[in-house]
Amino acid sequence: MSKINKAIGEIQNLTQMAEQDQWMNRIHPLVKLLLTVMYIGVTVSFDKYDFSGVLSMAVYPIIIFILSDLSFKNALYRMRVVLPVVCIVGVFNPFFDKEVAGYIELGTTADGVMRTLVVTGGVVSMLSLMVKGFLTVTAAYILIATTTIEKICYALRLIHVPKIIVTEILLIYRYITLLLTEAKRVVQAYSLRAPGQNGIKFSAWGSLVGQMLIRSMDRAENVYDSMCLRGFDGEFFIGEKVAFRGRDAAFLLSGIVVFVVFRCFPVFEMVGELF
Amino acid sequence: MSHIHINVENLEFAYDRVKDTRKDDSQDNRIIKDVSFRACENDSIGIIGANGVGKSTLLKLLVGLELNFTGQIRVEEIPLEKKTLSRVREKIGYVFQDSDSQLFMTNVYQDVAFAPRNYGLPQEEVDRRVKNALSSVHIEHLRDKPVHALSGGEKKLVSIATILSMIPDIILMDEPSAALDPKNRRNLINILNEFDHMKIITSHDLDFIWDTCNRILLMADGQIVADGTPDEILKNKELLEANGLELPLSLMQR
Repeated sequence: MSKINKAIGEIQNLTQMAEQDQWMNRIHPLVKLLLTVMYIGVTVSFDKYDFSGVLSMAVYPIIIFILSDLSFKNALYRMRVVLPVVCIVGVFNPFFDKEVAGYIELGTTADGVMRTLVVTGGVVSMLSLMVKGFLTVTAAYILIATTTIEKICYALRLIHVPKIIVTEILLIYRYITLLLTEAKRVVQAYSLRAPGQNGIKFSAWGSLVGQMLIRSMDRAENVYDSMCLRGFDGEFFIGEKVAFRGRDAAFLLSGIVVFVVFRCFPVFEMVGELF
Repeated sequence: MSHIHINVENLEFAYDRVKDTRKDDSQDNRIIKDVSFRACENDSIGIIGANGVGKSTLLKLLVGLELNFTGQIRVEEIPLEKKTLSRVREKIGYVFQDSDSQLFMTNVYQDVAFAPRNYGLPQEEVDRRVKNALSSVHIEHLRDKPVHALSGGEKKLVSIATILSMIPDIILMDEPSAALDPKNRRNLINILNEFDHMKIITSHDLDFIWDTCNRILLMADGQIVADGTPDEILKNKELLEANGLELPLSLMQR
């Protein structure tokens, strides 16, 4: 039950974070949306063996985390459910791709034998995929944590995403809280009549899930009625027109430059060669 | 003569039912049966009755949440039908029994601004309406509070503010005093009595009705069985008991 409460609280916290009057929050939502999409595209486009290239893309989230006062610890906590799933993607690569990609020198033994660690292509591609997953989820987190759902939808409308899809996104976002609240009530009612029981008995799952579905549908219908009674005609209000300012253009431009530079040049290797 | 805001004539309604071959289809499944009444601008109407007599259904019919009724509903001379729904709903504010169903935006401002924004009003007008609506129910201090952090009493007041921002002529309320503590209940009574809107309130709380309404419709089995002043109906023990109710607590001898 407390887990559901926490989940509802987390959604509310994210919403409040996005509503803050911080530097990053004030950037035009379209700029943030475009940069996020571009960042994800560029990060994913690296070759699976180009680990250093993928790693160099960490520059963007690092800079944003520093500039926007976002807490990295909180971000990791909030992404804890998604990250393992994303990281598991390449976990079988070392078993299938055993081609030697390089060696790591571990020094020499007392009798002068060089000790090396063989790194296979599978290990490199696994690490590369994990980092790609981590960075793309982090970029999405940055967008959500600094932009309200209404503003994200406003940006989507600016790039001509169909109205119905944008409205669906907004309603689903609202529906998550509603569903969690209903789940909380059902689980609470169950646990009060099943003292000392850990979790929910398997046999009760069917009726509980069914009840939850019916109740949440009722709630959804009431919410929809309430919206219609207040003038909702199929289009959600997604915010006042946001002015595109010079700082937005500068941020977009600098973001693009960073992405292009890190995508086209092996920056880490070039910096390494300087020393 | 007062201006007529709502005119209901021979209203009948039944929910769609899944056909059950085990049941006799000739059975009367009407929830509302031949209901007629007129409500004028000075009216503050309390609809009372036992559970399941059709009070909430009647309110839903008045705002067009159910449209497959027979008979006629006219709101300020506009017949209630699908093509006039938006015009009618601009005139009526409906407060749900469960405030959680009514409040779905992230904070109080967003929720109260929802209707004016949907009506395409400019931002200055939206701000003005939100300010006025919040001050009408004395909750200006809650403007930026997240909806999930409100107490039950605060949620009820915010629910009312969400419809006041529409500047409706008529306010419909379904069980407004449900789940309110005595202090919040008294506060709500005082606030409702400050409004000069026409009000239609359904409630089991006869003391609440006594304090807020100047006309009572008593319902039983989908019909209006009595229509009169609070004195005529709420003091009539036989009438109330015959229809599954009791005298208001404030009139009971202890």
